Amino acid sequence: MVDAIAILLGGLVTYLTRVLFLVSKKLRPPRSVKRYLPLVGPAVLGSIAIPGLIAPGGEIAFATTVPSVVAALAAWSAWRLARKQMVVGLVVGLAVWWGIFWLMGVVGWG
Amino acid sequence: MTPSFPSGRELTRAASLQGFRDAGLIILAYIPFGIAMGAALATTGVDPWLIISSSVVIFAGASQLAGIELLGAGAGILLVVVTIGVINARHLLYSASLEPHLADWPRGLRMLGAFLLADPVYALAIARFERPGGAGARSEQYGYFFTAGLTCLVGWTGLTTAGVFLGGLIPDDIPLGLAVPLTFLLLLLPLVKDTSGAIAAIVGGIVALVARGLPLGLSTLVGAAAGLVAGGLLFWWLHRGDPRGSEDDADAGPAHG
Repeated sequence: MVDAIAILLGGLVTYLTRVLFLVSKKLRPPRSVKRYLPLVGPAVLGSIAIPGLIAPGGEIAFATTVPSVVAALAAWSAWRLARKQMVVGLVVGLAVWWGIFWLMGVVGWG
Repeated sequence: MTPSFPSGRELTRAASLQGFRDAGLIILAYIPFGIAMGAALATTGVDPWLIISSSVVIFAGASQLAGIELLGAGAGILLVVVTIGVINARHLLYSASLEPHLADWPRGLRMLGAFLLADPVYALAIARFERPGGAGARSEQYGYFFTAGLTCLVGWTGLTTAGVFLGGLIPDDIPLGLAVPLTFLLLLLPLVKDTSGAIAAIVGGIVALVARGLPLGLSTLVGAAAGLVAGGLLFWWLHRGDPRGSEDDADAGPAHG
């Protein structure tokens, strides 16, 4: 019962963070701030994506950081070449990542 | 020969289908994380059905992981709820960022949409609203947003369920751990439309990386704040002589610059 209440309240708190500025037209971000709101996406998604790519598993190490950074660059290039098709970027990125691991295994770095 | 234009219903159907495709790809990329999370949470001693229902009620992976692990360790309700709230505080920025785009929606639909505003749903929605042609008529906006959001919600809950009941059977020697950060990179790229956006993303990422030892997932929040300040300062400096800078128009923002 305690667990269920905690999860319900956790859901309520999460919902409040998502709904706060959408609940009423009177409760809008200050006008002076609005011009900067398009920066929210890049700032938050950069904070999620970049650590995961540079420090996979939470640690920066040659054997894990180099493959993931190269895979990220490959995904980015493929995404641009494929007219911003996300699926192409993802598939190429993962394929390059696996390829590097395979190569590292072959040369004994893995 | 008279050119035939698609009807409103056809456009809405196309937008909904696009939302389903975009969200479906994200769910595919989330397979390893979702299953691993479900499998890890199944070992906490918390009722499996509560774990699965948390994917519907909370619908935010990192906070579910932290909150349920705390519950399993015997933490009190207050600590669990505060932890979930701190990890999900970034969603305040999402609602602020989407507000100008959803301002014309009826309040009921805005409040319903807010329930679905997890990280990938926000990323898909904001990219759709900020693309050159916009998100289309209101019905197309509803079609895209709610189809993408519900697909993510159902998919995420399905992955959690699979992880809780089948996680132990899946071999862990298939490396898939990069799928989620790669997905977020690919969600980020369309949102970077100028130097200020690039600086916001890079500074945010580097600061979150440096701060990755912070508890409660605070590194994302700290990184996002640093990225916003850095990108905002650059935007202000680049547009300090711009007469639009004194206007109250959201359309003058960096993504449209």
